[in-house]
Amino acid sequence: MMLQLVAVAFFGVAAVAFGIGVFRTRSMVRSALSLLGAMVAIGLMFLAMEAEFLGVLQLMMMASEMTIMAIFMMMYMMDPGGLSQMEMTHQKRTSVGAGIIGGAGALVLSFLTPWGRIVASAPAPGAQLHDLGIELMTRGMLIFETAGFTILVAMIAATLTAIVRQK
Amino acid sequence: MTVLAFALLLAGGVYLVAMLEAWTTTGRFRPLAPFVRGFALLGRESLVPRQPDRLFFEIAPMLLLVAAVLALAVLPIAPGAIGVDLATGALFVNAALAYVMVALVMAGWGANGAYSMIAGWRFLGQLVAYSMLIVMPITAVGMRAASLVTTVIVTSQTTMWNAVTQPLGFVLFCLAAMAVCFLPPFDLPVAPGELAGGVMGEYTGVRLLVMRLARLLLVLTLAVAITVFYLGGWLGPLLPPWLWTITKTLLVAAAMLGVGRFVPRLRDEHLLAWGWKIGIPLALVNIFWVGITLLVVSP
Repeated sequence: MMLQLVAVAFFGVAAVAFGIGVFRTRSMVRSALSLLGAMVAIGLMFLAMEAEFLGVLQLMMMASEMTIMAIFMMMYMMDPGGLSQMEMTHQKRTSVGAGIIGGAGALVLSFLTPWGRIVASAPAPGAQLHDLGIELMTRGMLIFETAGFTILVAMIAATLTAIVRQK
Repeated sequence: MTVLAFALLLAGGVYLVAMLEAWTTTGRFRPLAPFVRGFALLGRESLVPRQPDRLFFEIAPMLLLVAAVLALAVLPIAPGAIGVDLATGALFVNAALAYVMVALVMAGWGANGAYSMIAGWRFLGQLVAYSMLIVMPITAVGMRAASLVTTVIVTSQTTMWNAVTQPLGFVLFCLAAMAVCFLPPFDLPVAPGELAGGVMGEYTGVRLLVMRLARLLLVLTLAVAITVFYLGGWLGPLLPPWLWTITKTLLVAAAMLGVGRFVPRLRDEHLLAWGWKIGIPLALVNIFWVGITLLVVSP
């Protein structure tokens, strides 16, 4: 239990550190892969909290997502390697203000929420998988199908708008 | 399984795969060749290109190695002989293999060379083409075993191998596995003769040694994965279980290394088009087929 707590705290701090790294670098690819580092740290937090499936899923999905983001950042920015000291941040006052308000809000919420008793033992990983499958096929089916269908429509629409019609 | 046994198994496996690779490329069987090549690389200067992204350049070979080892750690060699028996083992293999792509993109970007960068991003495109063909056949395998635990997947094949009951998934997974290890005809990120070595082009000396070692380990990992998911893992008569796994793995590795040499390298847009227009529909048909057989044949 103590070891788990230490691991959760460690990966939490690592996630924040990588998150800061996203804005502290001038290289687009470093920035994107730093965000991947933060996501990996969150995945490891899930693993430390015995949510094995969520953790593995997080590790799997984020690797490709963040790297795909990296290539788009590289394509669209004029200085992807950060060689000419391009500024990564903009609208500093607004973003600092928004960050402070958001962070304070999250802190207040985390203290105000009645979390209930801390559960020491999670179900076995196999049972978690089973429960998740049952959830997806019964109560959550409509939600997930709607979300999936919406994303599919968005993908097709985005592809169609990107295609240049040849005459 | 103790750490020492696991390390010995890794070393032995990598050695055998290295020999197989030399055999498929040169046609000669030389037991000492891997050692000679390895020591030769150790003796060479390890150059760092001008203005590299030093962090990525140094991390990439290690990350490739770690990704391959992590994926191998959840695959069983014999009953009880498994690194970590995860409840989500089959999914974890895929999660670890996703970092192969991250490592190659890092290697391509970090070296600050045009060819290596193109090669790195090319492998990202290759991942988009093959990743669904890794996940969806594994889904069908998991359906039959009713579990993602790799040892349960092996025991679910006691009556019949998955390669026989799901031939479509087997073929798709094998092709995708070759694409993961960027073996010919899927060797787009190294592309000898076209990109001057690609992601490995700027690596020399000991760094190149780590990179090559990681690639061999990757071939070994995928060969074990094919054995475990489709060829019944350790199951087999007479011989001890671990020997069955090793025999099957080596045969699969030899096939993976050898077969592609007779096919011209695919172009990346063809790979993407075929992966999505042919591969994914076939993978869906495979899932449907397995579902039908599970419901009808063996209720």
